[in-house]
Amino acid sequence: MQSNGDVLMTTDSSSNSSSKWSLTGVIAFCFACIFFSGLLQSKEWWGIFDFLTLAGNFGKVVHSVSTKVADGHVVEVVAKTTSFRGSGGAGATDGFLFALTLAPMVIFAMGVFAIIEHLGALEVARRLMEPLFRPLLGIPGICGLTALGSFQTVDVGAAMTNDLMARKLLNRREKTLFTQFQFCAGGLLTNFLMTGAVLLATAAATHDGTITTTSIGLVLVVNFVMKILATNLLRLYMALFDKTFDERTASMEAQLTAADAR
Amino acid sequence: MTTATNNATRAADKKLITEIFVDGARKGWNAAITSMMPNVVMAFVIIRILEMSHGLDIISKGFEPVMSLFGLPGAAGIMLIGYWLSMGGGLGVALALLTKGQLNAHDLVVMAPACYIVGSNIQYLGRILSVIGTEGRYHSVMQVINFITGFVSIAIMQAIV
Repeated sequence: MQSNGDVLMTTDSSSNSSSKWSLTGVIAFCFACIFFSGLLQSKEWWGIFDFLTLAGNFGKVVHSVSTKVADGHVVEVVAKTTSFRGSGGAGATDGFLFALTLAPMVIFAMGVFAIIEHLGALEVARRLMEPLFRPLLGIPGICGLTALGSFQTVDVGAAMTNDLMARKLLNRREKTLFTQFQFCAGGLLTNFLMTGAVLLATAAATHDGTITTTSIGLVLVVNFVMKILATNLLRLYMALFDKTFDERTASMEAQLTAADAR
Repeated sequence: MTTATNNATRAADKKLITEIFVDGARKGWNAAITSMMPNVVMAFVIIRILEMSHGLDIISKGFEPVMSLFGLPGAAGIMLIGYWLSMGGGLGVALALLTKGQLNAHDLVVMAPACYIVGSNIQYLGRILSVIGTEGRYHSVMQVINFITGFVSIAIMQAIV
């Protein structure tokens, strides 16, 4: 029990021992950055280097048909399609199907993440991102790839974070801060691409040219700054109101382990 | 028999890249089905309750005085809460308010970062916080921090745009 608590507190020392820069690691890291960034999202051949392109989509199903009638004859039948989730669902049942639509992304991303990690990309991420993440967010650089994953899909970020925790690469304090980072403007890139473009385009159409493409960049930049601000607000909160966080979670962990043993 | 022996040696020796993928994917399945799905179901039930009980209107009303502090109409509060429930729903609300003239284009742009900050948070409480296993007492702290950051972003956008 005691040793378990110790491991949780001292993640840094454990990662020092087996660290090495490898060429494959650097290549895998670069690949991961491109793969999860969405830059190469395309139907062309280079789409094979993009996460969302390879993640694909569900087929469409017809949910209703309407007919155009002229001179008492049906001249055209128009079919409306949706994904298998259908339209007009609500409540727990709709939530279940919605979760099913998200599952393939998580399964696929975790598979790719395992390969990338196997090739040594996590170690490269740790070294490259450490000088940035540690002072700015109070979390280790090893979170770099996970952060990238969470910009795309929050579920991918959450699953990856769980994985880092399970392997004791993050302690509870770092995990809590990192969670706030992901929670604030979660899934930013995907959400922005899906709904932000429409919103700003509609806004631009009604206004007299004050809203331009710079607005789009501005919104993204402000959101990234706010992610950092939110993480630091939590850091401040923990420093002011939760000084015993580490001790408390360590004892909680010990209790859980004891319960498991029983 | 031979295959079994081969597999055993290979597992001990070196894993195939496909096997590594499948092992990782299995972790993804466990995360998605045992942790994400129950949380999404819970979030959808909460959303349903808020929609049916008109709880949304009450929350939106509460936001009106706060929005006016930032030089925005009360409708901006409805937009923010719409996004808080779900991104898609929020977009619908925003476009409807724009068409009705209750919000103008400038308001939408000022509100945009805040909408992404609190967007789908009610789902993400389950999909991020519960999945990662955040301590219960931190759920509300993190939600409050998101709203604070959201209002900071509104102030920043009002200053720039």
